[in-house]
Amino acid sequence: MTNPVERSAYRNERGNTQSLGAVPSVEYGLIRAHVFASLVTLVFSVLFGILVATKFTFPEFLGGRGWLTWGRLRYNHTQGIFFGWLGNAFLAFFYYVVPRLANRPVLSRKLGWFLFGIWNFAVVLPGWTLVAAGFSQPLEWAEFPLVVAAFVVLAFILMVFQFVLPFLKARLSELYVSGWYIIGGIIFTMLAYPVGNLVPWLVPGARGAAFSGLWIHDAVGLYVTPFAVAIAYYVIPATTRLPISSHFLSMVGFWLLFFVYPLNGTHHYVYSAIPMAAQKGAIVASAYQGMDVILVVTNLLLSLPGSSGTASKDVPLRFVWFGVVSYLVVSLQGSVQAFMPVNRFIHFTDFVIGHSHLAMIGFASFIALGGIAHLWQRIPGTRYNERMMNWSFWLLAVGLTLMVTDLTIAGLVEAQVWQSSAPWIDSVRAVGTYWLVRTLSGLPILAGFVLFWISLVTGPRLSEAIVSETSRMASEDKAAFEDGSAAAHEFTLTGWLSNAHVIAFGAGVGFFPLSFLVLAILPGKELAHEIQRVAPVTMPTLTASEQRGRVIYGREGCAYCHTQQIRSLAADVRRFGAPTEAWETKYDYPQLWGTRRIGPDLSREFNLHPRDWQLTHLYNPRFVVRDSVMPPYPWLFSGSANQPTQEGLDLLAYLQSLGRARQLSGFERQPLASSVHTATADMAMPKEASARATPPSVPIAMTGGYSDSAPVLHPASNPGDLQEEVSRGAALFAANCASCHGSTGRGDGKASASLLPKPANLTAARFADERLSSVLWNGITGSAMPPWRQLPAEDLRALVAYIHSLHVESAPPSTQVSTTLGQAKSLFAAACASCHGDAGGGNGPAAGVLAPAPTNFHLKKPTEERAWEVLENGVPGTAMVPWQSQLSADQRHALVEFVRSLYGTPQEKSGQ
Amino acid sequence: MMNLIVIVISAIMLGLLLAWWLSPAFRAWIEAPKHFMLRQERRFDDAASGSRSQAKQRDPE
Repeated sequence: MTNPVERSAYRNERGNTQSLGAVPSVEYGLIRAHVFASLVTLVFSVLFGILVATKFTFPEFLGGRGWLTWGRLRYNHTQGIFFGWLGNAFLAFFYYVVPRLANRPVLSRKLGWFLFGIWNFAVVLPGWTLVAAGFSQPLEWAEFPLVVAAFVVLAFILMVFQFVLPFLKARLSELYVSGWYIIGGIIFTMLAYPVGNLVPWLVPGARGAAFSGLWIHDAVGLYVTPFAVAIAYYVIPATTRLPISSHFLSMVGFWLLFFVYPLNGTHHYVYSAIPMAAQKGAIVASAYQGMDVILVVTNLLLSLPGSSGTASKDVPLRFVWFGVVSYLVVSLQGSVQAFMPVNRFIHFTDFVIGHSHLAMIGFASFIALGGIAHLWQRIPGTRYNERMMNWSFWLLAVGLTLMVTDLTIAGLVEAQVWQSSAPWIDSVRAVGTYWLVRTLSGLPILAGFVLFWISLVTGPRLSEAIVSETSRMASEDKAAFEDGSAAAHEFTLTGWLSNAHVIAFGAGVGFFPLSFLVLAILPGKELAHEIQRVAPVTMPTLTASEQRGRVIYGREGCAYCHTQQIRSLAADVRRFGAPTEAWETKYDYPQLWGTRRIGPDLSREFNLHPRDWQLTHLYNPRFVVRDSVMPPYPWLFSGSANQPTQEGLDLLAYLQSLGRARQLSGFERQPLASSVHTATADMAMPKEASARATPPSVPIAMTGGYSDSAPVLHPASNPGDLQEEVSRGAALFAANCASCHGSTGRGDGKASASLLPKPANLTAARFADERLSSVLWNGITGSAMPPWRQLPAEDLRALVAYIHSLHVESAPPSTQVSTTLGQAKSLFAAACASCHGDAGGGNGPAAGVLAPAPTNFHLKKPTEERAWEVLENGVPGTAMVPWQSQLSADQRHALVEFVRSLYGTPQEKSGQ
Repeated sequence: MMNLIVIVISAIMLGLLLAWWLSPAFRAWIEAPKHFMLRQERRFDDAASGSRSQAKQRDPE
């Protein structure tokens, strides 16, 4: 439906104001359709978001099916907000405002319906469906697969014809700031979106990340922001009927935004392998961006002098006002986050998630809601329920405030834990409550959006265009308008400046190559040179299975919780190893650096965890890490963790390849022990790549293995203190060990079914302090037992005390043995000593190549039952084979007795 | 890079401020769109009111 007024013949060149004539037609049908589509997709997108948030608290919730897994829902949440909600809302606003600003109708109603179809039925719906089915891109703000991205580009090309062409045809010299933002935003996004989607597939790793970083920021800064600011600049004067404070300042804001926003992108990769010049350029641009927003917001708020009453009474204006204030807060927050002293702490944390929700809801969505509510009151045949709208506002405001505050604090808590040496899982535990509150805060937000929708379909039908009482009271400002027009006539700059639309077009086109040249192409050249110079000649590529695993890694959204970039920061290096260098990512198409850490960085996963641990962890992470919030991936298995499908094996292969190139290349050039300490001194950002190789690829705290520095942890001798240690150890054991060893320590935890060798039955042996200390400090190579040396010494000591308390003395031997101890000694020498050593010290000739190492009977003292069981059945997953068929029962009993005679260290024995 | 950004932005800002400071006609020209926008808004409101009034006259319900 359109209004029945003929097209205008208005034309204004060189400042000659002519009769404006009749008003151009407005496509009300398209406005309604886009508003409806925006609200439907908004509710779905928010539901996706609430599901994603819920899974942080209940990771098993809806976790059995791939299409409902965290990663795919997360993709659909953000893409739904981006395209479904905001895209449709912006389009609705364009149909309302372009005829007003260009004084011409949009190009074509048919084109409009075609665009509507493309946007919703070739982008949003297929995008959601394909992502749920496992077809996506692991690129932030570009998650819909390339086939969908092609339709997005087509849609933006159509938008140029539909919305930009009317401005070009009108050739207005008096192009209002909202028009500038609309033209600039459409042109820039049309150019930047395909680059952000395609280039990371063509340019690998760090070089691709430079492009991705630009698009991540352009998506928010040059798609969301210009259109939201355009709405704010329109709704405020249209409601108050007063001109904005300064159109000059609005234009300064526009130019600054289009100049500096595209230069912000690399601030997502501060302390990364991207050249420091580009990083610092992005940081400076971020600072300017903050200043620009102060300018814009000041101008917008100054446009409400004496209209504070209007802002409180007029709910749409109140939505916009809230959005403008949020714009100021979130932009200043963003600028500060880019500064290196702040970035080093809060980057990758929930602080940034709070920031992005403030941007997308507080700023963009509030303004879009205000814009929709504003235009809804001014199109024929609509209903409007002001009471509901008011409730919607307050629910959204309260929910958002709670969410952002909660996530901000959660981010600070995470940052604090990450700076310490505590195990990674401690940071997950520390913010569990905050994640629950975040989920709950989503409920009023969802209710607010639903009420907003209801407010547009209930209430009285609007029969007259609403012009608020305040607006009527306001001067129509006719005198000012005429004065301005008259003065403008005197301003006879050359034609190029009067053709504002051409300049806006140039802003979009001109700044696009500039930003990519400065922050992506030039740094990319530098990176390519460095890679050529530094990369090992024999750097292995991924196998076909690993490549397939990489696709699965991207499909399931792993990069949204695990980074693959260790920053040049002491805290990162101490925890994960040497900073990621550009050459390590030379085969990564597209890059999977990630911008968030819920789980640890995975750059150095090679040799970090054994195969059985990885598979068990993928099947159900809580089988091996009790408090993990990682989603389970049962669809990669055929019913159990030790039956992976080909996809499961592929993902495993990929995970185990991460960091392989670095470790196999011999890139380490200094001894590990000394380099760990130098790496923790402070930020490591030397110019010479060789110097950056100083820290080890993986900290020995994570990899385990024999270490001379392992302390011997003796529990307290005082009974009172010992009891306290045992209690403390029990709690630590339940949190960190029981998943594998079982709640009673019998080696029957949830993970035991799929781990090989099985977790030790801690009740079936008495361990020397030295043995427990060594295992806790180093882990057990060749098994799933990791090192726990990140825990404080008092915690490790408490664990030693608790494990001692688990030992149950067995009954005395029940079988008469005819084989003598002497014969047993000969048997041991013949059958066991090659691994366990002549004296049972676990140091036989074969021991050096066995993993796990053979038992040292001086330090680990199995019960008689356990020793008998091992002789009968062997230890699956180790070199210990069953001896049932090779030795008689008598011989085995004799061996048990002989082994028990080896217990204790020589010192202990001599003491006896 | 940092210097380039600072210099370019400073030059643009200086140019705009000088134009604003030295030319009243520039000020009037650059402020004119905000009045144009309001006038357009009024025209569209009037047109919408007019068309609804006509519709009401045809159909009193």
